[in-house]
Amino acid sequence: MKGLFKNKPRTPTDIVRQTRDILIYADRTSSSDPRDAKREEKMAELSKNIRDLKSILYGNSESEPIAEACAQLTQEFFRENNLRLLIICLPKLNLETRKDATQVVANLQRQQVQSRLIASEYLEKNTDLLDILIGGYENSDMALHYGAMLRECIRHQSVARYVLESENMKKFFDYIQLPNFDIAADAAATFKELLTRHKSTVAEFLSKNYEWFFAEYNSKLLESVNYITRRQAIKLLGDILLDRSNSVVMTRYVSSRDNLRILMNLLRESSKSIQTEAFHVFKLFVANQNKPPDIITILVANRSKLLRLFADFKTDKEDEQFEADKAQVVKEIAALEPRDRT
Amino acid sequence: MAQEHDQEPKKLKFPLDSSSYKILDEIGVGVSAIVYKAICTPMNSTVVAIKSIDLDQSRADFDNVRWEIKTMSLLSHPNILKAHCSFTVGRRLWVVMPFMSAGSLQSIISSSFPDGLSEPCIAVVLKATLNALSYLHNQGHLHRDIKAGNILIDSNGHVKLADFGVSASIYESNTGRGWASSSCSSRLMLTDVAGTPYWMAPEVIHSHTGYSFKADIWSFGITALELAHGRPPLSHLPLSKSLIMKITKRFRFSDYEKHKKDHGKKFSKAFKDMVASCLDQDPSKRPSAEKLLKHPFFKNCRGLDFLVKNVLHGLPSVEERFKESKVLHGISTGSDNGEEEEGTEGKTGSEIVKIRRISGWNFNEEGFELDPVFPTESKDDSIVKQVRFGGETIIRDRKIELGESGDSVESSGRSSPGLIAEETKVNAHGENEKEDKGIDKETMVGGLMVLKKSLDEQRQNVANLIGMLGGEVSGEEQLVQVIERLRMELESEKQKNFDLEMELEFNKHLISGAYNGCDTE
Repeated sequence: MKGLFKNKPRTPTDIVRQTRDILIYADRTSSSDPRDAKREEKMAELSKNIRDLKSILYGNSESEPIAEACAQLTQEFFRENNLRLLIICLPKLNLETRKDATQVVANLQRQQVQSRLIASEYLEKNTDLLDILIGGYENSDMALHYGAMLRECIRHQSVARYVLESENMKKFFDYIQLPNFDIAADAAATFKELLTRHKSTVAEFLSKNYEWFFAEYNSKLLESVNYITRRQAIKLLGDILLDRSNSVVMTRYVSSRDNLRILMNLLRESSKSIQTEAFHVFKLFVANQNKPPDIITILVANRSKLLRLFADFKTDKEDEQFEADKAQVVKEIAALEPRDRT
Repeated sequence: MAQEHDQEPKKLKFPLDSSSYKILDEIGVGVSAIVYKAICTPMNSTVVAIKSIDLDQSRADFDNVRWEIKTMSLLSHPNILKAHCSFTVGRRLWVVMPFMSAGSLQSIISSSFPDGLSEPCIAVVLKATLNALSYLHNQGHLHRDIKAGNILIDSNGHVKLADFGVSASIYESNTGRGWASSSCSSRLMLTDVAGTPYWMAPEVIHSHTGYSFKADIWSFGITALELAHGRPPLSHLPLSKSLIMKITKRFRFSDYEKHKKDHGKKFSKAFKDMVASCLDQDPSKRPSAEKLLKHPFFKNCRGLDFLVKNVLHGLPSVEERFKESKVLHGISTGSDNGEEEEGTEGKTGSEIVKIRRISGWNFNEEGFELDPVFPTESKDDSIVKQVRFGGETIIRDRKIELGESGDSVESSGRSSPGLIAEETKVNAHGENEKEDKGIDKETMVGGLMVLKKSLDEQRQNVANLIGMLGGEVSGEEQLVQVIERLRMELESEKQKNFDLEMELEFNKHLISGAYNGCDTE
């Protein structure tokens, strides 16, 4: 008899609603008593619901996802504040359900309903959720889940802009140096995504925030005592400055003697990978056709040292572009004349 | 399954500084990694294994390292090797793991059971492996490198699956490994070639058609044979030949029996049936991990103590085995001075080292019989070229995708870490190919690359068409239909192309094989 009533298939809307009900319950109660059987049962049901949501969105080994079902699910999900509930309740879920929930949230960011990205619209109105996700880096149990959700959310340009311009941006300089390698690496991946994904937004952000951003970048990252921080930072700096959309920022960066000093120190590192990445930034200082006098002075003063350094400077792999760049840099440096000898 | 873990007491937090650990012994070594046996002093001197990876030497695949660390932190199953924690110590990354005192099954076999294990022992090992696989698959993860070398045992007989260096998730795209990176017809399929050739499923080798969890089941079947015979089937053949035989479906279970001079070994019907079901050419006909667990072969499976008594008893320790191998094969631990080119994996032809994997311990990888070695002159050169060849091609076609993706959320959102991950996998693949004869391999890879390029062009054309249509057709359904039709066309073109190419390659191979044969005699 029971089967007769239970077998009616649930629609995506039903599943979202049931998930919501249990999330509200989970949010209000706490698991002070681990032998709370009723709660246990509800949480198991929640796990199952979240898994069901996942298989609607991703399909499974037997069937592909159905566009209509996905749209229905997405619409219902964002009609109310389910994303908020899910994010807040995530620490109360077990590991497997956390992973499922993360994948559900990730997928929802890409779902379109009537060619609108309603996830983006929702997040624009609920930016505090991004603050919660970023704060996750301070909690080692949640960091990888919140971090993965965050990276999916900043696929939306408006969301990335919010994060870039928020106070939280400053925290990344510490997060990427956390002792836990997996968490630090996740934060570094998010940081990189923020600074490379949406070109126009990044260019605007860097122009507006040039002073503090590069002051922090230089002192905390490029001059960090931590090898891996320096290595990732110099690589990312190269990616940022060499991007055409950031040419204004690049010109400004390569006109500063402080920056040149830092880069020259990195060129002297014993680590081959740091050296190589540093070269890709250093060459911009040299290639700059309007070098300020103090830059020229430094380059001239260190000319023989630099030329000696480049003489046995090789990459591990054969790299024609690198060799060509190096030859150009050597030529430029050799031809430099101290202009301001008055 | 998940439930029992949630009730475990809160995970102990291992300290994140090197001073809390005391190194006891070296138990494995690679080009840029060393595995130590150590104790964690503040944690009651718990014995741990620490893999210390020189990050400066593995520069290109930093993202791969990150992927594996993350995967290891997020998986939780008694039959899966987990990392306690990881942190950097200067230029090295320390990954702290449980100490699996008996090492890998491959190492055990090559040191003490050259003709393989008995069936009851195999059953215990495989059952644990299946539990791990079933968990992984349920999570949307493919291991992609199932083999005895990646199955570890501790002193109590606990079996754990290790090495997630080439694993992939069908759900995650941002690493460049998941479905989003493929333009395959089905979303939950993978298309990149990864794994170790002798264990690789046929559909992984011609991977453009896509493959999924059942590829692990094939490798599992090969692993069963490896445990039974001491080595995987076709391993007496050079690699390209074994690959081609698999592709052209000439490989049968019975062929293997013929080739192998068995020491009168007889296997039960249940075992043969179980292995045969895993090695079905048609992936859809292979059973799932969950279903395999119910196979009669695993009925009345013995407990861990049986394994302890029959396999581990009297076995030299991993430390001893490592020292012995050092003496025997002259592995010089101190010579990690970076003389190798990036991308080259081994130091000597026989010592294959997987710097790219974190949870793999590199024990006793000298199993000669297992990976036949052929002397190659100018070994390093050819390998490096080979590896790059593959790598570059992949980068080329990724660039196309990159070009298309702008700021939009809808773009497949690939970033350079993805490229690197892809390239690394090719390297990992290349590492195993190197024992092969240079000439055959180059012809074959060359031909395949040309093929791949033409396929990429076709793919690109279709993508352009889709793009054009996307601008004009508003009805989404109409668009989907058009895409579907184009996809079908492309698939059939690909198939034709591939069939022809394979035929050609096979012929070429026969010819060049014959030629080489004459040459050496």
